[in-house]
Amino acid sequence: MTVLLNLLFLMIAATGASVVLIREPRRQVFAIALNGLVLTLLFTALQAPDVALSELAVGTAAVPLLFMIVLSAVRTAEPGQDTQSGEDA
Amino acid sequence: MSLLPYAVAAWLFGVGLYGIATSRNYIHLIGCLSVCQSATYVLLLGIGYRFDAIAPIFYDHPPGTPAVDPVMQALVLTDIVVGATLTALLLVLALQVYKRTGTLDPERLRPMRGTRAPGPRPRSTDRPPTKRAAPPAARS
Amino acid sequence: MSPRLRLCVLALAALVLLPCAASAIGALPEFGGRIAAYGAAINAIAPAERHVANMVSAINFDIRGLDTIGEEFMLLAAVTGTVVLLRGSRGEGTTDRAVRLPGRAAPRRSDLVVLACRVAGPLTALFGLYVVLHATVTPGGGFQGGVILSSATLLIYLGDGYAAWRDSIRSHWLDGMEGGGALLFVLCGLAPMLVGGAFLENLLPLGRFRDLFSGGLMLIENLGVAAAVTGGFTQLVLEFMEETREPDQPDDPDGATP
Repeated sequence: MTVLLNLLFLMIAATGASVVLIREPRRQVFAIALNGLVLTLLFTALQAPDVALSELAVGTAAVPLLFMIVLSAVRTAEPGQDTQSGEDA
Repeated sequence: MSLLPYAVAAWLFGVGLYGIATSRNYIHLIGCLSVCQSATYVLLLGIGYRFDAIAPIFYDHPPGTPAVDPVMQALVLTDIVVGATLTALLLVLALQVYKRTGTLDPERLRPMRGTRAPGPRPRSTDRPPTKRAAPPAARS
Repeated sequence: MSPRLRLCVLALAALVLLPCAASAIGALPEFGGRIAAYGAAINAIAPAERHVANMVSAINFDIRGLDTIGEEFMLLAAVTGTVVLLRGSRGEGTTDRAVRLPGRAAPRRSDLVVLACRVAGPLTALFGLYVVLHATVTPGGGFQGGVILSSATLLIYLGDGYAAWRDSIRSHWLDGMEGGGALLFVLCGLAPMLVGGAFLENLLPLGRFRDLFSGGLMLIENLGVAAAVTGGFTQLVLEFMEETREPDQPDDPDGATP
């Protein structure tokens, strides 16, 4: 059990660093999802099934999805195309 | 061994802070902030853990069996869900910044001096100084 | 502030904070040794006192219920802020094209994906309901179940497309669920005061230990949280996706919109 916990802690440190070090947001989304998955495993190993269930639903599904939608919105929206641009032009 | 969980929590917070300080993209920055958040989860659950204990759910085991600390789990549980909605709020702010200024790079943002308040202004005839600094270069 | 200067400030802060962090880590209780007295006391007393098996739910909904009301309103405030920011810049109106980049061909959805989503959607919703209802017995509760329920609605989007998803989900229902859930939680706190109890005092029959209907008032509070989280998360995804839709017609007078 101790070995497993140590391994998971080290994996958390590695995936957390990868979220920061991957600078391209489109690739970072996958690092965020992976980080959430490893956190889920760690919480399960730490005898916290409630928290693991929450992290599984939020950290590996909902939050990466929101990131992806925002990235898609950033590419769809031309800069300055908001509602104020009509009166400026 | 016994210091590893706390060291990992400190490492996660530090590396997230480094990412926030050096980030050149607001969406990337919000991801770094979520790493800082996960540091608190690791720290709290690390404090609440004890070896050879069950989860604090006495369904299969009779009450009285040694269990890990449920208070920390309750703290982390609500924090995860509420933190996700806060991430969403920050993402929307980043999106609005992109729509207004055409860039997601904190370095390219000018201080907001001399900008008009958004909204219809029928009387104004003079146009504000353009603040959409070089949108084509910003889209990488 | 230039990036180099900012890094220097960060390094300076790290130099100051690292010894503090090291001493704090040294003073923390040893990992895996013992747990705090409060948690141990709850583990010892709460199963007999509240007739619930899941201690985390007992803390969230009963022992520290007031804190959960605070969390609930943080959730409400964050979702409201997001929705206000997004809707304010977009206006009303719907379209069937969203989450699609202009100029990129979208491949047709294969029948297998549609079938899998239609099968998995109701099953996911059922699992979400199960997680919500068994809050006091097995791992789960309103927070987790709510997120699972809202991801079940997303399977409609995956399987049947954006238009079907928008047709099946009404935005004002979500508003009602979100606000109504928070209201239900607060009413659960206020109702015992009408009969002379304390705020959030558990006056309902507690039920049998390990039974689905154990915990009394906790179950109702749990339903409120589940409604608020389901409504809030679905609303978030809905508003975000609306943001990616193409404009129906160019709203720029000079026609600069692609």
